[in-house]
Amino acid sequence: MSAIPEHHVVGRRTPRVDGEDKLTGRADYTVDHRLEGMLYGYPVPASIAHGTLEALELDAARAMPGVVDILHHGHFPDLHRSPNSMRQGNAVSEVRLPFEDDRIHYHGQYIALVVAETLAQARAAAFRVEARYHRNAGAMTGLAASDDEGEEVGQYTRGEPELAFGIAPVILDATYTMAAESHLQLEPHATLAEWREADQRLIVHESTQGVFYQRNALAHIFDLPPEQVEVISHYIGSGFGNKLFMWPHAVATAAAARLLGRPVKTVLPRQQDMMTTGHRPASRQRIRLGAELDGSLASIQHDSLTETSTIDRYVDACGGATPVAYACDSVATHQRILPVHHGSPCPMRAPGEASGLFALESAIDELAVALDMDPLALRLKNYAHQDPQRGLPWSSKHLDRCLESTAERFGWASRDPGIGNMRDGDEIIGQGMAAATWFAGRQPCAARVTLRADGVFVACGTQDIGTGTYTIVAQTVAELTGVPVARVEVRLGETGLPAGPLSGGSMTTASTLPAVAAAVRDALAALKEVATGPGGSFEGLDPAALDVAAGTLQGDSRQAGFAEILARHRLSDVTGEGSAAPADERQEYSFRSFGAHFVEVRWDPGISRLRVARVVSSIDVGRAINPVAARNQVEGAIVMGIGMALLEGLDYDPRDARLINANVSDYRIPVHADMPEIDVELLDYPDYRFNEFGARGIGEIGLTGIAAAISNAVYHATGKRLRDLPISVEKLMDRT
Amino acid sequence: MRTFAFARANSVARAVEHRQAELVSAFVAGGTTLLDLVKLDVMRPSRVIDITPLPLTTVERLPDDRLRIGALVTNTDLAYHPDVLADHPLLSQAILAGASTQVRNMATTGGNLMQRTRCPYFRDAAAACNKREPGSGCDALDGVNRMHAVLGASSECVAVHPSDMCVALAAIGATLTLHGPNGEREIDVADFHRLPGTTPHLEHDLDDELIVAVTLAPPLMPLGTAYVKLRDRASFEFALASAGAMLSLDEDLIGEARLALGGVATKPWRCREAEALLAGKRADTAAFEAAADLALADARPLTHNAFKIPLARQAIVRALRDAARRAREDDA
Amino acid sequence: MMETIEYSPEAAVSVHLTVNGVPVTAEVSPNAILLDVLREQLGLTGTKKGCDHGQCGACTVHVDGRAMNACLRLAVMCEGQAITTIEGLAEAGQLHPVQQAFLDHDAFQCGYCSPGQIMSAVALLEDPRVPGDIVTVREAMSGNLCRCGAYQNILAAIQDVRLRRHGQEGGDDA
Repeated sequence: MSAIPEHHVVGRRTPRVDGEDKLTGRADYTVDHRLEGMLYGYPVPASIAHGTLEALELDAARAMPGVVDILHHGHFPDLHRSPNSMRQGNAVSEVRLPFEDDRIHYHGQYIALVVAETLAQARAAAFRVEARYHRNAGAMTGLAASDDEGEEVGQYTRGEPELAFGIAPVILDATYTMAAESHLQLEPHATLAEWREADQRLIVHESTQGVFYQRNALAHIFDLPPEQVEVISHYIGSGFGNKLFMWPHAVATAAAARLLGRPVKTVLPRQQDMMTTGHRPASRQRIRLGAELDGSLASIQHDSLTETSTIDRYVDACGGATPVAYACDSVATHQRILPVHHGSPCPMRAPGEASGLFALESAIDELAVALDMDPLALRLKNYAHQDPQRGLPWSSKHLDRCLESTAERFGWASRDPGIGNMRDGDEIIGQGMAAATWFAGRQPCAARVTLRADGVFVACGTQDIGTGTYTIVAQTVAELTGVPVARVEVRLGETGLPAGPLSGGSMTTASTLPAVAAAVRDALAALKEVATGPGGSFEGLDPAALDVAAGTLQGDSRQAGFAEILARHRLSDVTGEGSAAPADERQEYSFRSFGAHFVEVRWDPGISRLRVARVVSSIDVGRAINPVAARNQVEGAIVMGIGMALLEGLDYDPRDARLINANVSDYRIPVHADMPEIDVELLDYPDYRFNEFGARGIGEIGLTGIAAAISNAVYHATGKRLRDLPISVEKLMDRT
Repeated sequence: MRTFAFARANSVARAVEHRQAELVSAFVAGGTTLLDLVKLDVMRPSRVIDITPLPLTTVERLPDDRLRIGALVTNTDLAYHPDVLADHPLLSQAILAGASTQVRNMATTGGNLMQRTRCPYFRDAAAACNKREPGSGCDALDGVNRMHAVLGASSECVAVHPSDMCVALAAIGATLTLHGPNGEREIDVADFHRLPGTTPHLEHDLDDELIVAVTLAPPLMPLGTAYVKLRDRASFEFALASAGAMLSLDEDLIGEARLALGGVATKPWRCREAEALLAGKRADTAAFEAAADLALADARPLTHNAFKIPLARQAIVRALRDAARRAREDDA
Repeated sequence: MMETIEYSPEAAVSVHLTVNGVPVTAEVSPNAILLDVLREQLGLTGTKKGCDHGQCGACTVHVDGRAMNACLRLAVMCEGQAITTIEGLAEAGQLHPVQQAFLDHDAFQCGYCSPGQIMSAVALLEDPRVPGDIVTVREAMSGNLCRCGAYQNILAAIQDVRLRRHGQEGGDDA
């Protein structure tokens, strides 16, 4: 790890360029937008989870002050479904259109949208809508309440996993479950839709992680050319996956705006946000491991069952990392899904693999105990020096360095492996560890860069969901032009800009920056052409001979600022376009990020209180473009991981599948007081085989492995192997 | 959110008149319970009476040295009041263990006594709840009832009283001053909250009255106190089980003991039998455990909350232990 | 003595507030919530709605100097009171020291909870009754949820401001 040279901006701690707007209240989130003549939408949720809507009593609500219209099954335009294709970029979270029929598939499903002059009026009227239902018996309340093994949707096999398991001298066969989790991003989902009749344009402000996906889906749904749909999302009060793809509130709101000829804004109340806009589905995973006496893994089998809804087929692929996590010749994964009467699940931070690595990394710890081996040594013993699934070398893998560094900073060597042996007053100290990993991917991306007298303008239709995309784009431009970050204006989150990727999968950085760099180079080439052309500052010079530094072109012992060059030619600006897409690098290498979490818990058996006291992590994501924001991502993921391990679970009533803790109090996420001491190290091994900046992504990886590390530490403290998340107090107290 | 008429009372008498004048009316001070529940359509007052102008915002020391707390003293001001910290640290500890800074800044002493349960079925207007809608049934009884009561419940209602402050008041002992159409009367805090029985919608012994003051019993001396609140996350959450303990020690023998529980009962739960058992005993684990067992002898679990009984036992034992330690420290 | 005041459910009530130092009169209904009045009527959208039930802290404002959840407060009950929102912290374009510390310590990600976090932090730092150790600060800030999990940096920002203030005070003493 080397210091960043003075003139470099990439890799340097950079305060966020959008920070001042966010910290002063100026940042315009979707919920903050307001248009002239705007109406307010307020959805009415179904109070049952499985049945039929028999009748809606709307008269009382219609008579309320300010009510303009109420949309529902009997009063809704005839729209089309989105094709829901990832490949075509029009995926949606819930395929069913709002009010499509009278069937109720989940608690909270919209049965009406009240539209009124003010928010208060819309809300008051929504509470006056009365519904009569036919309740169906036999609601599927969740996989925990069912023996149904669902439907197989994917599998992978190499070697002879069953055979190897059968003859292995040491085996482990354990089942792990996780409750459904809510994203609980603090900005609720919101749509502000405007229909411009004159030019038949639909303009939608949406808190979304993917403006282009939503545009494309809306175009299909409203049967409009994509050019006539615009989606805007400048600031997003985070998403964690549930804002990747459109939900029905946006369709209902856009339909209302077109029907009524006035802009309509719908902000989901928190209860509805939690009921209708996705969650990480509950999972049940069986892991079977077979090992030699020296710890070599002979067989890994990972069978996963995850919930989906009755109206969508969402697959939370828990076994995604299992084939590549360890060097093992015989590996099998099976993925199944089970439809239940909940709203549709969707990706949630490290989808699939956060759940999968909880199971796998817990199982590895259990195997270490069975082998009487140190769990760190067991992981190093089965270290995958190349990708065991594809047989390709890793582009850059430093998991060994992560494990060693973390162990050293944590003080793993002084850990007493005996259960409950480490005490401090009333508390027993437990220490556990787990490995982390997340794939490194890229999506196609385009960008436009404009060099102007007062600085640089850069535009890309991706989004900043809080990860710091605005800032790293500015850093990239600053790096390549020498113009200070403060004079780089970044515009994101509009479909009117060059097409950018989803903010998801930890792919934004690696997708976006190469496109921005290409656009910068294109703009610089245009500027050099001007400067070396007739009457230019460098007339007659070969453009290739010009260097760029500090916002100037330099060559032939002279230099000229961008502004000066533009002024000399009476040009307002020069513009460059750039794009980037995954190339054939995947033919030669496998790309993944890696990391390690070491956790110390404190268990006070006298009052059955468990808390996470300390987390030490090392993360290998290549080059961190902005280390301050990157570290923040990992710290935040650790906090979320504490929630996953100890606190979080959506409670569906076991009788009728109604969601009973759809609020921010009864669904518990960590608060300030739950914060442990956190020590995150970002290794700095730029992965130039992946892209010119050496950056992979960092949004997800921190959440992988952390729940297992906590659970493993709990075992070390208590002797209880808790395979069901969240590890709530009653599980810790259970004497069996 | 439903509409309501609004009145601002300029005297206690006028406040009470306002309440009588309307079939469904509610006083509002901090608003942290009322507005939360109005938004959920769970409380539907047709008139809301703002009592914040009333002169009930001071903590005063009476001639007999007791502390008289105005009903509008905020939770924050009460918790940090020097006389409360000096005489009744348990009250301060319990208040600061509850809610959040913002809620404590808004919530008042009287409002905290009037706090409603957090039972999710009570808070869901579409669910069956005898407390919200008498005779509609109780969805919690066979539903998700992990958070519900193991003490004081009935077949009609198993909802927990959520207050931390009231646990301390139960342990300390207090008299409430109520002002009604027929003037003022006083009531022991222990008699204020009702058990649900067959009328869970009747939560308090109030007759169109306004709580105007809470007068605390004199402190025990020398005193050790502890409030142990056990919950899933570390803060801003209601208790799974909490115990407030006060002990006076004479050498190593317990003089007087006070014990009350939160998070496990349908009202703030004073454990008088356990207190009596402790008096005169050595302050040791055996005594604390015996007291805890007695306090929980009548506890009855529901489907998902059996753990609350051993958890409450642990809270009691730890609170008594810590209270005894502090009594010794203070003595030393 | 102040007159008893009564409004019908449909009344349009004139409420006189001082918002960020500026006298403001708002016409509100008796059941209007302070948060909605700030956001929808006064255009002060820096104060955020995260849960609308006092459970997340995103709507934290100062009412007569105290941090409160604007979502649980009737606007009519704020008659004559001074409300400070996130928009009122920076003076003459200069960030408040707590805002600056949040920027310096990267004490946010998506920024949606930040106005509430900052309002709570400012009130906390000005309340002499609350001890300044990190256990107490974490407890006192627990009414402000951050799902991005920037808690460690928020704590660092708060304690940084505290340290600088005490440093200044110490300097005066010396």
